[in-house]
Amino acid sequence: MGLPTAPLVTIAFKDLAKTNAANRGMPGERICFLPHPMTNKTDAEMYAVLEGNDPVTGKPLMPEIIDALTKPLTAEEKKSGTVTPDIGPATYVDTPDNLQRIFLDNNMTDFMPIILPTEEKVEAMLKGTSHKPDEVIGTLSAARGAQPSWSFTVRHVAINAVMAGAQPEYLPTILAIASTGQPALFSSTSSFSRMLLLNGPISDKIKMNYGIGAMGPFAEPNAVIGRAWTILSKNLGGCGMPGLSYMGSLGTNFNYNNICIAETENKLPDGWNPFHVQKGFKPTDSVVSIFSGWSLNNVAWFPNMPYHELINNWLTHFFSFGTGAATLLLDPTVAREAKGKGFDSKEALSDYWSKNSKTPAWLYWDTHQPLLKQAQAGVEPYASYLKMGDADIPFQRYYRRGRFGAPPNPNAQPDANPKSSIEIIVLGGETNTYWAGGDFSHVTSVSIDKWV
Amino acid sequence: MKINRRKILSLLGISPAVLAASSPAIGEPKHSPKNPSIKDIKLEVVNPKGLPPPIQLIPMAPRLPSLDGKTIYLVSDGFAGADRFLNQIAIWFQKNMPSVKTVYRLKAGSYFDDDPKLMAEMKANGNAMIMAYGH
Repeated sequence: MGLPTAPLVTIAFKDLAKTNAANRGMPGERICFLPHPMTNKTDAEMYAVLEGNDPVTGKPLMPEIIDALTKPLTAEEKKSGTVTPDIGPATYVDTPDNLQRIFLDNNMTDFMPIILPTEEKVEAMLKGTSHKPDEVIGTLSAARGAQPSWSFTVRHVAINAVMAGAQPEYLPTILAIASTGQPALFSSTSSFSRMLLLNGPISDKIKMNYGIGAMGPFAEPNAVIGRAWTILSKNLGGCGMPGLSYMGSLGTNFNYNNICIAETENKLPDGWNPFHVQKGFKPTDSVVSIFSGWSLNNVAWFPNMPYHELINNWLTHFFSFGTGAATLLLDPTVAREAKGKGFDSKEALSDYWSKNSKTPAWLYWDTHQPLLKQAQAGVEPYASYLKMGDADIPFQRYYRRGRFGAPPNPNAQPDANPKSSIEIIVLGGETNTYWAGGDFSHVTSVSIDKWV
Repeated sequence: MKINRRKILSLLGISPAVLAASSPAIGEPKHSPKNPSIKDIKLEVVNPKGLPPPIQLIPMAPRLPSLDGKTIYLVSDGFAGADRFLNQIAIWFQKNMPSVKTVYRLKAGSYFDDDPKLMAEMKANGNAMIMAYGH
C-alpha cells in the first residue's frame, strides 16, 4: 500500500499476528500489542491502556506506536525476494515408536496413535481411486483469506488417509471431502465443529453404521473417515496449530471425528427425500455433505405433545453462538410420527418450524440492540414486542438471511419467500423416540463418485 | 476366553508368518542383532505435509521523519469496541500532538477482507495508518 502502518493487536493473538505477518511477507511488521480483551473496557479504561505499556515489549505504548510510524527501516525490513517454507524431509527413517513420536511432536496427528504411512501402505491406499497420484486437488486453509492456502495432491490425501486408518475403499469419500477446500479445524476463536453426512450407495458399500449408535464409535468407516478429515486438515492446510492457525478458546471434542454419519435412507417415511436428493443429487449418487456449527443437544424426553411441537419449542429456546440456523437429527421413529401428523416431506416440516418457532425476548433484544431504541420510540412492530415483556417474540430466526447488523449486500434482492435454514437428517436404530438438534448449517455437498 | 493370536497380530498389522520366521532359536538371546525386536526395526515413512505457498517478502513502506502536521487514518477492522478505542487515540493526539490530524474509518467487509476503496483514499489523503485490533 505504501503507507507506514502501526497495527494494534491484543496480546492473545501475539503468535498469530507475528506468524501471519511473516506468512504475508513482512516478518518485521511493527505490531504494537494491547491487553486482552479490550472489547468490554470503558472509554476511560481504554485511554489508560494508551498511557500504559505494551504488554509484550514493556515499552510505553503511544511512543512505541509513534516509533512504528517514524523510526527508519532496518535492512531486514526493506528485504524483498521469495522464501520457501520448510515442511521437513520427504521421508523419515526410524523405529515405529520413534516415528510415532516424531509425528506427534510435529503436530501431524490428532494425538492418537496413527498407522505409519510407509510407501507400501500409501501405494495400497491409492488403489482406492482411479485418479493419478500427482493430480492437484485444490487448496486448504485454516481461514481462507486470513491464513495461507496450501495446495495438495491425491497422493497427499492418500498418505493422510493411511495415517487415520482408512481402507482403500474409503479414499474416494476422503478425496471428496478434501476437494471442498473446507478445513475440519477452522481458526476462529469460537471453536467451530463440523459434521460429515454420507448419502447414497456409498454408505452400504463401505458399511457405514446408520442404525443403533449411528453417531457413536461403532463402525470403522464412521470412525476413520471423520478422523482423516482432521488429520489431513492439519497436514494439507496448516490448520490446527493452537495460537497460530487455531484460536478456539475452549476447543471442541467433535473435532476428533467431525460427527461422521450416514442417513438411514431405508427408514425414511414415504415422500421424505434423502438429504442429497434435497440438494439436487440423484438417489443413486454417492454424496458427502459438510455442515458447520458448534453444538448439539441430544434430547431424550417423552412429551405429552407431538414431537414436532416439542421440537418447535426447543427451536424457540435453543441458542448458542449461532442463532439463525439449525439441523435436526431425528430417529426414524420421530420422523414417522411427524409424517403421521401430516408432514409429507422434510421441507414441509422445516417450513413449519421456521414459521412457528419464536425468539425469547432477551435473545431478540440482545441481538437487535438498535431496534430497542425504535421500540422505545413507539415504532411498530418493535413497540409491541417490547410490551410483551419476557414472553417469546414472534420473530422467526430460522430463515436464510444476513446476520443482523452486517453491512448490506448491494447485490441482494428482496426475497418474498425466504428459505428455511433448518435441515433435517434421519438416522438411528429405532430403539427409542429420541432426537438431537444443534446450530449446524449446511455448507456444501459434493459427489463421491467423481473420486472413485 | 480363547484368544485368537493370529487375529490380534493381524489387527496390529503384523503377519503371523513374519513372526514365526523371526522367532529366535533356542539358546539365542531374544534381541540379538541377528534377531532384532520388531520395536527396533527401522521403517521409512513418507512426510504427510502438503505444499504451503512460497512467501513473497514485501519491503515495508518508508517511515515518516515525524508525525508533525501529518494525517493519520485510524482504521477499525470491525471488532467490537475498536471504534471507541481508536477514538481514544484521536483524543490522545489532540491532547499531546495537536498538529496531527486523525481520520476514523471502518474497513469494509470482514476482518480478513481487503477494502481497495479505503486503501485508495488513504493513499491519496493520508500519511500513515493505525489499525485496531482483535477482541
